Amino acid sequence: MDVTRFAFLALAAVAVVSAFRVVTAPKIMHAALWMGFTFFLVAGLFVVMGAEFLAAAQVLVYVGAVTTIILFGIMLSEAAEVRGGRASVAAAEVPQGSTFWRRHVLPVVATLAFVGIMVAVYTSVPWPPMAGVGGDTVPQIGRALFTTYVVPFELAAVLLLIALIGAIVIAIRDDHREEQGS
Amino acid sequence: MMLPSGIPLTYPLVFGAILFGMGLYGALTQRNAIRILMCVELMLNAVNVNLVAFAATFWQAAAAGQVFALFVMTVAAAEVALALAIILILARREKHIDIERVHLLRW
Repeated sequence: MDVTRFAFLALAAVAVVSAFRVVTAPKIMHAALWMGFTFFLVAGLFVVMGAEFLAAAQVLVYVGAVTTIILFGIMLSEAAEVRGGRASVAAAEVPQGSTFWRRHVLPVVATLAFVGIMVAVYTSVPWPPMAGVGGDTVPQIGRALFTTYVVPFELAAVLLLIALIGAIVIAIRDDHREEQGS
Repeated sequence: MMLPSGIPLTYPLVFGAILFGMGLYGALTQRNAIRILMCVELMLNAVNVNLVAFAATFWQAAAAGQVFALFVMTVAAAEVALALAIILILARREKHIDIERVHLLRW
């Protein structure tokens, strides 16, 4: 087994375990830290697959921004349920009747069916001939971003600006209205 | 079918499917809004893994898959900012973020 394959399998195994901990960790804070760790491992997988630029973007955007935003959101909120977490489904009481089906049976069935169907498709489909050449992809990404995909690129910039303004407008603390007991 | 770096194509695809399955299971079973948000992020990341694998195997010349993954990251960043703002204002109004008990838009 050569080195890249071993590195991929090792990173993927740890990432699956930490993704599982995101769902099952009893405290929401720990779940957020496991999520950051998963993102970091996926960045490592990008490096192994030869996408260095995306690995850097993954570390900057997901590990640096998304995880930090969620951690700050958890720490800044005063609701006990946000900080304490209220644990995973297994810890809560087992509901009866249709709620049991909706919460415990259907998700498992849906998830297993999805993963099973996807793996079956991946192993049985006839792939088109391989065209990958390897090598440095960063210049290609830059060229593609500013020629073929320049319109989506600009739209993404506008989207980020709108999201920034929208998040500020939504989350701003309206003290005047809260004093009146809205 | 191999990536140029010597990994069989099925490895990243199966890993992406498993990661997506974890996110799907969490998003369907959890009641904490922030944890659902984290599971959605996991699913978006799994899609990125698939895009990178396909781009490296089939479309290296145009790098289209990696550009798409970059746009997915952009949308995910915008989404997490807005979703967290909504969750914070929900926590401030309702003192909890249990989605089973939120009725603000229902009646």
